[in-house]
Amino acid sequence: MNKSFLPILFFGFVLSAAAANAQEAVVIANSGVKTAEVSSDDLRDVFTGAKSSLKDGSRVTPVTLKAGAGHDAFLKKYVGKSDSAFRAGWRSLVFTGQAAMPKTFDSEAALLDYVASTPGAIGYVSKGAANDKVKTLAVK
Amino acid sequence: MHRRLLTLLLLCVCAGKLFAQDLDNIQIHGFATQGFLYSSTNNYLSANTSAGSFQWTDGAVSLSDSLSDKLRVGIQLHMYQLGDFGGPNIQVDWASGDYKVNDHLGFRAGKFKTPFGLFNDSQDVDAVHLWALLPQSIYPTDNKSFTLSQLGGEVYGSLRLGKKAGALVYRGFAGYRPMDLNGGYVKQIDLALAGIDQAIGQPTTLVTSAPGGKTYGGDVRWQTPLKGFLVGSSVFVEALSGSAGPVAFRLAPNAVTQQYAQFERGKFYVAAEMKRQPVNFSAIAGPVVIPYPLDWRSWYVMTSYRVAEKFQVGTYYSHYVDAGSGNDTSLSQNYSKDWTISGRYDFNSYFYGKLEEHFVHGTSLGYYADSNPNGLQPRSNILAAKIGFSF
Repeated sequence: MNKSFLPILFFGFVLSAAAANAQEAVVIANSGVKTAEVSSDDLRDVFTGAKSSLKDGSRVTPVTLKAGAGHDAFLKKYVGKSDSAFRAGWRSLVFTGQAAMPKTFDSEAALLDYVASTPGAIGYVSKGAANDKVKTLAVK
Repeated sequence: MHRRLLTLLLLCVCAGKLFAQDLDNIQIHGFATQGFLYSSTNNYLSANTSAGSFQWTDGAVSLSDSLSDKLRVGIQLHMYQLGDFGGPNIQVDWASGDYKVNDHLGFRAGKFKTPFGLFNDSQDVDAVHLWALLPQSIYPTDNKSFTLSQLGGEVYGSLRLGKKAGALVYRGFAGYRPMDLNGGYVKQIDLALAGIDQAIGQPTTLVTSAPGGKTYGGDVRWQTPLKGFLVGSSVFVEALSGSAGPVAFRLAPNAVTQQYAQFERGKFYVAAEMKRQPVNFSAIAGPVVIPYPLDWRSWYVMTSYRVAEKFQVGTYYSHYVDAGSGNDTSLSQNYSKDWTISGRYDFNSYFYGKLEEHFVHGTSLGYYADSNPNGLQPRSNILAAKIGFSF
């Protein structure tokens, strides 16, 4: 391989790794939530409206980003739905009187502020965006 | 009538500008749809569809408030117009108080949506479905206002059975269900009673006060360990009584059962349901009791695929037979078979459009004698198109 291509390949690799990292979501919760970890089943159930508490008994309320790569990545990895299917599921619950729609936020900063100040709030941000005002939950 | 529909639509649009404003814990949501139906031969769902009909409008606005972690109250107002059905009155779709003790136990009281099968409670929420018309064998659009909800109470909850056993979701209910005077069943009863009136030589009388009856039942669904695969069963016991002038009618309590399964994985979806509905209907004119034993058997299978984030396609086959005593089920008036292909495009998070073609064989569902005075052809193709808005 021509040596002149190596720096370009390396730069491309670094860029794609950074993009993948930005799209990798971490689960965050209000610091009042007792547990430090959440099962993938519980996480899916909470974000599809099937449950409103975690295994340790903490009552939680999901919040989401309005759109974006991080939002899509979270839904795909932890909820197993596309954004359209996710919205349709919640609309079904709301219009049949079974649940209230999760709050949505335009930016990770706004979502972080809300989770930090709202007991029971649980959401997600891209890796590296979480701060010490919220609790980061490990997904088991 | 159209003025009120427009008012509701305007309310939806104005509220939409608030983009589902959440004032602390208060949420406002809504939807509105406008449809178009065109049929190759018969007039469908009481509208003049053989000439093309826009008489197909739906709209709803919901308001809910979380008073505490466990207590939520809400109301949804709904208006619809489909041919002769629906009309000027804004109906309360649901209005309930919901107390959720924990994930295993919750209570709902007031007017609530009836859980029955996969889509009964959401059949009027057009925005959540790919289909412009759900399989009519199980979710007849002309009767949705009757089957959607009831007055009473409901117990609900869910139970995770373990990592390898999935979860159970259960709901039980009891209450009272009034019939919609502007719905399909009342129209069918009116047409049947007109025949009796004619036979006994008295002037035609119509149902003027809403018939109704007690109900109870439940729904249990198992979210299996296989991700996305769900099976379930519903039972609904219903009774009904009413009158039209000197003619009374009643439905002795009978159990309607429905079994279902669905599998959802990524962009792919498949579902099937089957329903058995024996109907012990009888008309009483003085000392004369005329029984109308019916036995409705329905099933469908559907599948869909999300081609792109905004574009979804699907098809279903829906089958219905009225196997009541003495019925020749080979006659087209006693069955309905419907092949459907459908597509939906979401313009954005709020607006969408649907286009659907139905290849219908049999005339047992969705056709009314008064809107087809020249009789019915056994086959008809029906084009259904819809645009909708939801927030």
